[in-house]
Amino acid sequence: MHEFSMTTQIVETVLQEAEKHKAKKVTEVHLVIGKLTFLGLEQVRFSYDVLVKDTIMEGSKIYIEEKNGVVKCSSCGYEGDFMYEDDPMYHIPTPTLRCPKCGGVVDIVGGRECTVKSIKLVM
Amino acid sequence: MVRLKEVVKAEEGEIYDIELDADLLKANEELAARNRELLRKHGVMAVDVMGAIGSGKTTLIEKLVQALKGKCRIAAFKGDLTTTIDAELIGKHGVEVVPINTGKECHLDANLVRRALQRINLEEIDLLFIENVGNLICPADFPLGSEKRIVVVSVTEGPYMVVKHPFIFMGADVAIINKKDLAQAMGVDVKKLEADVKKINPNAKVVATNCRSGEGVIEVVYALGL
Repeated sequence: MHEFSMTTQIVETVLQEAEKHKAKKVTEVHLVIGKLTFLGLEQVRFSYDVLVKDTIMEGSKIYIEEKNGVVKCSSCGYEGDFMYEDDPMYHIPTPTLRCPKCGGVVDIVGGRECTVKSIKLVM
Repeated sequence: MVRLKEVVKAEEGEIYDIELDADLLKANEELAARNRELLRKHGVMAVDVMGAIGSGKTTLIEKLVQALKGKCRIAAFKGDLTTTIDAELIGKHGVEVVPINTGKECHLDANLVRRALQRINLEEIDLLFIENVGNLICPADFPLGSEKRIVVVSVTEGPYMVVKHPFIFMGADVAIINKKDLAQAMGVDVKKLEADVKKINPNAKVVATNCRSGEGVIEVVYALGL
């Protein structure tokens, strides 16, 4: 839902970095986006194409790596995917903060990132 | 005299790979941590009130202000896209309100809260309510630095609001099921909504309220540990 503003920040970050290196052109941008963020990849790509127009990023390729959500249990040490509970009333598997191993309560430790991992510049 | 060879620089047209590793959501988290530190230093407890549009966030804050005004010094930040209607509603109860207009943005972020914090004297308050923009999606991505997070939904939004938005409830300390007086007319089971929250986040406290009449508001005060 806030893809346009997040992508604006992504483009600004890349342009600043490119300027620091006095690059003529940016050819590639590699992003990592966690699946637990509310960023739609389609909308990020669309915003990107709009925002890079008339900048040295125009025509650059955007690569997005998705990261799964990861939870960790402080009681038993479990680290991995959420436990999903199927609700017979709604037929929707709902992710929960219950530990699938010991039934304790887990913390979310991964899947919330929106990172500009690396860029490729032409000098 | 030190003699150096010519500095090696990138040649025309050479391609450079730059590792950046700049996490843009982390930037918000860091600002949120700074807000939290500032609030703690001044002994201010901040409560982030999130929830659906029209679920009763402002009415809840009004009722909490009425209940707590005599006990502690309160201020509020009121996030909204463009108007100050709700800010005035809260302000009528005699507390200081800083309206935050996000313009087009669907959530408050830690930077807007940081700027609002500069507008109030933190020495003069004990409790700060931060009402987020009505939205069950985006605020989950943007912690603000509050001590407690409330999520408000109401029965008029239907029976599926909790299971449709699990991630916002995972971050909630207190979940409110509001407008319980209308549950029968809406054909919504309040107990089921409460159970949905507990299933997703076993640590969350759940309170059913009718914020217009004030029913359940005192339970919210206890749930917040106030």
